[in-house]
Amino acid sequence: MMTILQVISIAAIPALIVFILTYAALKGVKIYEVFVEGAKEGFQVAVRIIPYLVAMLVAIGIFRAGGAMEMLGMLVGPITNLIGMDPEVLPLAILRPLSGSGALGVMSELVTTHGPDSLIGRMASVMMGSTETTFYVMAVYFGSVSVYRTRHAIPGGLIADVVGLIAAVFVTNLFFG
Amino acid sequence: MLNYIWLGLIIVGIIAALSTDFSDILSDKYRNNESIDIILSFDEGIEPSAGKMMSGTVTIDLAYLHAFYGIDIKDDRVVTYPVHMTFSSSEKAIARIPVQEDFPTLWKEMAVAQPTDDGKLAGSIKIISKRDETSYQAEFVSDPLRFIGLQRVTNDGIVGYASTAVTIAIGLIGIMALWLGVMKVAEEAGLVQAIATGLRPIMTRLFPDVPANHPAMGAMILNISANMLGLANAATPLGLKAMEELNKLNKKLGTATDAMVTFLVINTSSVQLIPATVIAIRVSAGSANPTEVIVPMILATATATIAGITAVKLLQRLPVYKKQLD
Repeated sequence: MMTILQVISIAAIPALIVFILTYAALKGVKIYEVFVEGAKEGFQVAVRIIPYLVAMLVAIGIFRAGGAMEMLGMLVGPITNLIGMDPEVLPLAILRPLSGSGALGVMSELVTTHGPDSLIGRMASVMMGSTETTFYVMAVYFGSVSVYRTRHAIPGGLIADVVGLIAAVFVTNLFFG
Repeated sequence: MLNYIWLGLIIVGIIAALSTDFSDILSDKYRNNESIDIILSFDEGIEPSAGKMMSGTVTIDLAYLHAFYGIDIKDDRVVTYPVHMTFSSSEKAIARIPVQEDFPTLWKEMAVAQPTDDGKLAGSIKIISKRDETSYQAEFVSDPLRFIGLQRVTNDGIVGYASTAVTIAIGLIGIMALWLGVMKVAEEAGLVQAIATGLRPIMTRLFPDVPANHPAMGAMILNISANMLGLANAATPLGLKAMEELNKLNKKLGTATDAMVTFLVINTSSVQLIPATVIAIRVSAGSANPTEVIVPMILATATATIAGITAVKLLQRLPVYKKQLD
């Protein structure tokens, strides 16, 4: 299982690139010229998202550095205990939609301290994969096309996050509890 | 909504920092300006005098130190740490104690929080009396610490994350250029449209406002596939390409369309078949079966995606959000 997955994730990108380029060349596309033309946009896109990313990350940075996570944890702790979420994984649940690298840090810490095959270690692993860093993805994706009126993106994204995290707790308890 | 969440994150963060700071002040957590009894030792034949820079050692009774800070830790060791001093008179000196492995936790914390933040605990030493040829009875006072929480907000939160944001964006340039180039080639060859044709029934239902043969469809499918395979490096540029295509259909620039929001939510709930990073962490932590979490994870993320799509499809009908498109 592991080796198949590894092969797929290692081979996918080179295979995809080779396939696209060969196919296009056979179709008579001037691949080098066209590639360079498309790649030119890379810089502009990256630069365009900077203001959005700064706005979002600084707010998240203040929230985390000020220790608000711990306070929020105390507030929602009683509720999350009811649904079978271990208090140890609560910080991960709060952090998951806010910061990808932060959540990854908390997750690896939980997996290392409690052991990857403990219930906490498994719950942390499942949670990590259950959803994405909503605020970061939003800043980058909408920022790249200069969209700032986000309409129902935040409520929708947060509903998906909450449902995903609850589902992670539920499924973990069902499989390993 | 975003405005309030944004402001909320900032205000809650600052309030949390302030309340920690005030409780530190009230409990006098760092015992500012209070002196700790220590024994100061030098090599033989060295006499402290004004203007001299010297190195020596401080010896502290940990049980006494913990009692001094009001911390409930049982530790009876007597520890000795090196110290560097600059004497302003024969009794008084500015002192720096380099952080050691076995430092008391509070001292480690204080050393980091001090404005000097150079891996040393800063303070001052005052010699009280001579004990024998090489050692003195002395007092150590750490440099006063106030508003650590707010300092952390400024340094880590504001300054730190602002530059992190730029680092992330700049780091994207190369990989972004690569995939945008490959995408352009695929587009010219008619591949992107071909992919879209296969999944047309699902895609037209998810994105009714996007014409079935629009390039956005192909880009979105590629992005979702890359996400499923856990290829984050490829997924982001492909997703941004899709956003750009969706934006071409946008009649009101600056405002997200229904299709954009739906696509975003699919991305933020990320159906992932190969969670490479999580598995790698489990392997390195010595899991007996690192991949056992894949099936539960797929169930959880699929639930999240379905919930997200349902939510945005319902929310987009609300007058509040509909109105913003006009």
